Amino acid sequence: MKTLNLPRSPKVVLGLGITAFFLLLTIIGPYLAPFSPDDTSFAPNLTPSWHHWFGTTSLGQDIFSQTLVGARATIVVALVAGLVATALSTLVGVSAGYLGGFTDDGLSLMSNVFLAIPGLPLLIVIDSYLPVGSRSNALIIGLVISLTGWAWGARVLRAQTMSLRNRDFIEASRIIGERRWRIMLTEVAPNLLPVLASSLLFTVLYSIGAYVTLAYIGLTSSSVWNWGTMLFWAQANNAPLSGEWYWFVPPGVCIALVGTGLSLLNFGIDEFINPRLRESGLTARQRRRRGLPRRVRLGLTPVLRPVVAKASGPAATSKAAS
Amino acid sequence: MSTDALERRAAADVVAGAASPPSGSGMNERILQINDFCVDYGVDEGAVRAVDGVDLHLDRSKVLGVAGESGSGKSTLVYGFTRLLRAPALITGGTAFFNVGPASEGGPDEFIDLVTANEATLRRVRWTQISVVIQSALNALNPVVRVGSLFNQVFKAHRREMSRADRRTRAIELLELVGLNPDRLQRFPHELSGGQRQRVMIALALALDPQLVIMDEPTTALDVVTQREILGELAELRARFGFAMIFITHDLSLLVELADEIVVMYAGRLVERAGARALYDAPRHPYTLGLLNSFPPMHGERQELTGIPGAPPDLSDLPSGCAFHPRCPYAMERCAAERPPLAKLSEEGRYVACWLHVDEVHATVPVELRRAVPTTSAGEGGAT
Amino acid sequence: MSDTGSAMSELQARHLTRHFKIRVPGHVLSAKRIVRAVDDVSLDLRAGQVTAVVGESGSGKSVLARLLARILTPTAGELILRGTPIAAKARRSLAYASDVQLVLQDPFGSMNPVHQIHHNLIRPLRIHGASKDESRALAETALRRVSLEPPERFLDRFPHELSGGQLQRISIARALCVQPKVLLADEPISMLDVSVRLGVLNLLRGLCDDEQLAILYITHDIASARYLAEEIIVMYAGQVVEYSRGTTLVDAPTHPYTQLLIASVPDPSNPLSMAPHVGEQNLTTFAEQGCRFSPRCAQVMDICRTEEPPAFLVGESHTSKCWLYRDRPEASVELAIPKRRGEGATTTK
Repeated sequence: MKTLNLPRSPKVVLGLGITAFFLLLTIIGPYLAPFSPDDTSFAPNLTPSWHHWFGTTSLGQDIFSQTLVGARATIVVALVAGLVATALSTLVGVSAGYLGGFTDDGLSLMSNVFLAIPGLPLLIVIDSYLPVGSRSNALIIGLVISLTGWAWGARVLRAQTMSLRNRDFIEASRIIGERRWRIMLTEVAPNLLPVLASSLLFTVLYSIGAYVTLAYIGLTSSSVWNWGTMLFWAQANNAPLSGEWYWFVPPGVCIALVGTGLSLLNFGIDEFINPRLRESGLTARQRRRRGLPRRVRLGLTPVLRPVVAKASGPAATSKAAS
Repeated sequence: MSTDALERRAAADVVAGAASPPSGSGMNERILQINDFCVDYGVDEGAVRAVDGVDLHLDRSKVLGVAGESGSGKSTLVYGFTRLLRAPALITGGTAFFNVGPASEGGPDEFIDLVTANEATLRRVRWTQISVVIQSALNALNPVVRVGSLFNQVFKAHRREMSRADRRTRAIELLELVGLNPDRLQRFPHELSGGQRQRVMIALALALDPQLVIMDEPTTALDVVTQREILGELAELRARFGFAMIFITHDLSLLVELADEIVVMYAGRLVERAGARALYDAPRHPYTLGLLNSFPPMHGERQELTGIPGAPPDLSDLPSGCAFHPRCPYAMERCAAERPPLAKLSEEGRYVACWLHVDEVHATVPVELRRAVPTTSAGEGGAT
Repeated sequence: MSDTGSAMSELQARHLTRHFKIRVPGHVLSAKRIVRAVDDVSLDLRAGQVTAVVGESGSGKSVLARLLARILTPTAGELILRGTPIAAKARRSLAYASDVQLVLQDPFGSMNPVHQIHHNLIRPLRIHGASKDESRALAETALRRVSLEPPERFLDRFPHELSGGQLQRISIARALCVQPKVLLADEPISMLDVSVRLGVLNLLRGLCDDEQLAILYITHDIASARYLAEEIIVMYAGQVVEYSRGTTLVDAPTHPYTQLLIASVPDPSNPLSMAPHVGEQNLTTFAEQGCRFSPRCAQVMDICRTEEPPAFLVGESHTSKCWLYRDRPEASVELAIPKRRGEGATTTK
């Protein structure tokens, strides 16, 4: 089997770590929470302490529990939105790129329209038409967000597909008589995997932002805890002004961390696609140990003086012969 | 670097095939001397040796042909000693002395070692003294820059004293040299055909009267008719300006016409070195013979040719001993065990890395590999 | 002409023509120029015979291969597969795909990098109706036919693990595994290392001799055409300029373009100073009127600039599309040579 040679740069490892941590939190967060996020039985406005790690709200709710519980809704919605948007953009992008002609014109027009419409106002409009009951449904919110987030990916995938379409192996498939949809599915799509992955990360990141924003301006159900609603309540209760930083900082930091993790992972994908970014395959330590310049400059091939005479060295053989 | 240091260095490598450079005034004839040059890709376990202990030298106004297949290290060698290789390539040994001319009027020629030279020195030498023409001119020329600006950039970088008018005159002169119409200065590279682009590349390479021009398969991407024309022009230009040339190609028959001396590379090493005509008429290495037999002839009866069995080796997993032995029809036991050095033959100016010619005890040289060199053309390049 | 009829004709092309409309740079709205990429080409591919098409870039030789494989539709002209004419505009059927196969130039590019070799070999078989178990066995047979042994060693590899020569053999195996009658090979050796080229040429020769395949060998290398082919066609600017059976065309070229081409081949017995000098050329612009080679031709006459020459019979099974031979009889299309423009109207649609 093919061995995947994933780059092991610190960036990617860190990104993987952060992302894995939050994914884990999505699954077990609600079970870890020491209290119910709705429980108002504690003293209000407690600063962080051993008992309440992140303090309490002015309604007397445990912020640590809210953060843990809120992770699930935030990330599930983002994943749903990301997956659906990526699926949509793949469908649109690959068909447009491969089929060309009128199909391409139509689909490109559609994605350009969606690109041109500002996403957030559209989201707000669509969302305000939703029945209030369905606003607590992660799936429905995710679908709505995905509607505004697929167009960018579709354009990227279309461009990639168009460059693949003229490659010889696609022509070879046509020569043997392969059907079009099969070519798209089995020949084109696998070559788009790195781009797809990158597009998925991007849309997940976008969806977190979109969902948190919707919640923050109060357009999602307040009965579902997520990091956006936490910010909504903190804002509503004037937390930033009254110095209750522990109320809005935890959800903010979590959002930032997820974003960082996903971006770092994206670097990894870039390096995977473009090995030249991998800094010549030499780690910083290897470079230092050999006295090589830290950065390789164009037009200055580094010279490595052999530290130990290699037995296989040609000079050794030829000189020995003399 | 002084000449006597170079001589010491060269003297140490006589066995490896490098003739010691002529001393005194004759020394000025040597333009490039490479000894024991090695290039690796990557380090430690992942390291692949792409060029392995190559010795070369080139005199003024001479043409050296470097022949080899993909992976033979021919391009790595020249981009290596000019220090143009990108990471993960590493130069892991050897010297490359280049003649930069006398330091003062009438003095002896100075040599610098390109391998140890710093960035400033390299920048001074490149293009003014060594220039490179690469294979794909379409990729080498910036698509949004007009041909005229390309020349301007070169002159501005290296000839500050030239006026605007001077630059233009010189650019037109250069285009005419390579058979292009001066109105091409206004064109963008994509408006030119492949042959025209390659001509522009050659004109750019000659812009500053370099001592050494390196041609990396300059005509491979071109049609035969265009190739022929460009090669003809190159031969004329060289006769006129007297620059030395290193010409890399996989097409041996082309080199025979153009080069004075040819080296054949296989798996990162030189396997044969000889005068162009001698190499063509009487190859000594089985690989050279196989390579020559791989080109169907244009004359004579049609007969089945066999070429060379097998495929070029994987550099990260080279065969033991002589890297060619698994494909060699004359392979002996010793070939799998020991690597043959590039040894001097009794004939003038011929070197071969093959046990058939060195091991008198076990080997009898097959008749195909000991053809006599026709006396009329011995050691002469066809292009002169 | 008698010997041409002996072998069975597998695929014939009659007056095959393909025009492309291209935008003239600088004229965004209106001006479109018509490029006659393939212009009135007729040829016969016969069982057990290699036909070579020699031409430079821009000669239309690759377009010709794609027209014959029917992945491009001709503007005019017809194809006759084993005696049955095929409507130009009809969809390319699976049966046609299994009868006529095309091998592409770049062995590295023509294998999908994400799939193992068995995918590349088994897919065509599955498309053409073989069962899963059958397919694997047939794929192994196909690999043996191109001398890749043992086949199991190659089936599970990825393309990047194999050398160019091996990949080109697999490319040929992929074409062969649907049992085609006609194999079109578009510059199959130009991207390969010199030392493995002959192996692939000899493989094609063997397939032709042993399995009575009709092979079209497209190349820019006239020496390899001479080595391999029974018939040689030289194309220039979409047209057949010279044709001969055997090596006559190379040994005694009659058309000025063929002469130039042959004089340009690197040949140690032909020093560079004798190189023909035709000056700066932009190969994408050909003469619109008269003989297309006339602007570059050293022996150009007045008539060449105004009237397009027909193909003249300059020897037995040897034709040349050049006014220099106007005292000779004109060649008929049955010799796989295009007639004069207009005369073929009855056969074209």
